[in-house]
Amino acid sequence: MIAVINTSIPCAWAGDISEKPWVLLPIANRPLIDYWLEACTEQHIRSVHIVLHDGAEEVEQYVGSGTRWNVSVEYVFARSTETPVDYLRSISSYWKKGLLYFGGPFFMRRRQAFRPERFRELTACRNDFGNLPYFLYGQNGDDVSRLLDGFEAPGRGLEAIHVHPFVIGTVGDYFDINMKMVSGEFTRYVTAGFATADQSSVGFNVRTPPSSYLRAPIIVGDDCRFGAMTTVGPNALVANHVIVDAFSELSNCLVLEDTYIGRNLEIRNKIVAGNRVIDPADGAFIQIDDSWLVARNRPELMTEDVVRLTVLWCVALVLAALQFIPFLVLYPFIKLSGVAAFRRELFHDPHTGYISLLIFGKIANRKSLLYRIFRALSLDRFPLIILVLRGRMFLCGQPPLRHPKDDAVVKQLKRYYPGVFCYRDYNHDSDLLTDALWYAHIRSLYEDLKILVKAFVSRFLTAGRQIPADSE
Amino acid sequence: MLVNCEKQDGIGVIQVSKALTAATVDAFRDQFNHWSMAETEVKNYVIDLAEVDFMDSAGLGTLIAVLKRITEQGGDMKIANLQKKPRMVFEITRAYKVFEIYESVEDAIKGFE
Repeated sequence: MIAVINTSIPCAWAGDISEKPWVLLPIANRPLIDYWLEACTEQHIRSVHIVLHDGAEEVEQYVGSGTRWNVSVEYVFARSTETPVDYLRSISSYWKKGLLYFGGPFFMRRRQAFRPERFRELTACRNDFGNLPYFLYGQNGDDVSRLLDGFEAPGRGLEAIHVHPFVIGTVGDYFDINMKMVSGEFTRYVTAGFATADQSSVGFNVRTPPSSYLRAPIIVGDDCRFGAMTTVGPNALVANHVIVDAFSELSNCLVLEDTYIGRNLEIRNKIVAGNRVIDPADGAFIQIDDSWLVARNRPELMTEDVVRLTVLWCVALVLAALQFIPFLVLYPFIKLSGVAAFRRELFHDPHTGYISLLIFGKIANRKSLLYRIFRALSLDRFPLIILVLRGRMFLCGQPPLRHPKDDAVVKQLKRYYPGVFCYRDYNHDSDLLTDALWYAHIRSLYEDLKILVKAFVSRFLTAGRQIPADSE
Repeated sequence: MLVNCEKQDGIGVIQVSKALTAATVDAFRDQFNHWSMAETEVKNYVIDLAEVDFMDSAGLGTLIAVLKRITEQGGDMKIANLQKKPRMVFEITRAYKVFEIYESVEDAIKGFE
C-alpha cells in the first residue's frame, strides 16, 4: 500500500491566515500534514508520494525524507492540466496493493472511542468536498479503481472506526477544529510538550512570571514568553515563539507562531497570525504593522543584522574619533579631582561567557562641572565604544547584564546583544527583562539610531545626575 | 485626511474619511482643533467613522486624546458607524469600554438626550 498526499489543491481561506502552504497550518500546534503522515505510520505504509505546488520548498523542508514518521517520501510536482483523479489514475501501477490519499484541507477528527489499531479495520471509502476527493482509501487496486470511477463505497468508512471526516472549508472551520482540540480533544492524539490531567499542554522553554495566569484548557507551544499579569486561557491555543506582553488577556483564541501581542490587549474569539488579526466568524482580517498592538516576532534576520551592525560599527568609529581627544584631555583632570573614576565590573558576554567592563561612576558626593561635561558628552562610554570597534559589544542593544546579579535575566534571553547605549539611558524606570526581550523582538537600524539619539540627548540633559544604569 | 465638521442639534458631528493611522492623525487633530476652537459653544461631539476602513494604535490614541480633551471641557463624545476592521481594533484594545459606540449618527445624537 502507498500513500499520496496532494498539497497542490488550492485553498483560498488559508492565504488569509498565513503565507505558509495550507498543509503546514497547525492544528493544536502540529501541522496538518503531520497528522496525515502519522496515519500512514499507523497503517504501516512505507511509501509516501507528496504532490507539490506552491510552497514546495517549505513542505519539503518540513517533511524531509520522512524518517521522522518511518516512511520513505518521494516528491512530484503537480501538472496544472491534471486533476487529482487523473494523477491517481496515472500512477495506478503503484497502488495495486492499496492507496491512502489525502488531497485537501481535511482532518481526521478522532472520537472518544477511537483506537489507532482500529485503523486497520477501515474499509474502502471516499470523502469529497466540492467535487474533489479529499480522502480516499482502498485496500487493493480494485477498490481504488472503483472509488476513482465514482462508485459508491460500501459501509460507513471513517465513521465506522470512530473518525469524523472534518473538512476545513473556511477560516471558521479552521478555528473551530483548533478550539475543539484545545477544549480537550488533543489528548486523543500524540501531543508535543507536557500534558497534564487538567487538559493543559505546555511546551518547552515557556516563561511565565508568578503574576501571570494559565487557565486550562490551554495549549502553549515552545519558547513562549508571557508578561506580568497576563491571563492565558481558557481555550487559548498559543503556538511556538509567541510573546504576550504585560496585562493582556487571551481566551477562545488561536495565536499562530512568531506572534507578538502587545501590552494590555484582549484577544477573544480571534485568530492572531503575526501582524494579522482575523475574525473567524466571517474571515475578516486586519493587518496591523503596529508593534503597540500585534506584530510578527522576527526570526533570525542574519542579513539584516549584519547590515545593521556594519553601519553601527562605522557610527562607533566616528564617535570614537570625536571622543578620543576630549577623553584624553578631560579624564586626567577628573581623576585628579577625585570626583569620579572608572571601576571594573563583571558582565555577561554572548561569546565568552563573561567580560569585565569599565563602568564610570561618582566616588565623591559633590558637584563638579568637569564631571557634568564628561557625562554630557558621553565620554564615560568611550572605553565601551572601543569595545564595539573590537567586536566585543554592540553600540546599541540590550542593557549589559551583570554577573551574578542578572544571571536570572540572562537565562530568559534567547538572544543577548549587550549595548553601550540602551533604553535605560533615557527611560530609567524600565524593566531589565522587558527591555531585553523587546529589543530582541524589535531590533533594527532605525531602532538602534533612535536609541542612540535619545540616549545622547537624555544623557546631555541629565549630565549632573547619576543614572541607575551606572550606579546600581 | 479629510475631516468634515458640522453642527446638528448643537452637537458637533465630525465625519472622518480614510484610515485613521499614524500618517493621518496629525491632520485629523489639526482640523478638529481648528473647528472646535471656532465653535466654542459646542460641547458634545459625535465622531462618524463610516468611511474609516482602518485604524492603528496612533488613530486610537488620538481618539482617546480627543475624548479626554472634550470631557475636560465638560462635554462628551460618542462614536458612530464603526466599521468592521476598526471595530476589531476597538475589541482587542478594549477601547469599546472607553467609548460609547452607536450604529448611526442619529442614534449617537439621541444618546445625548
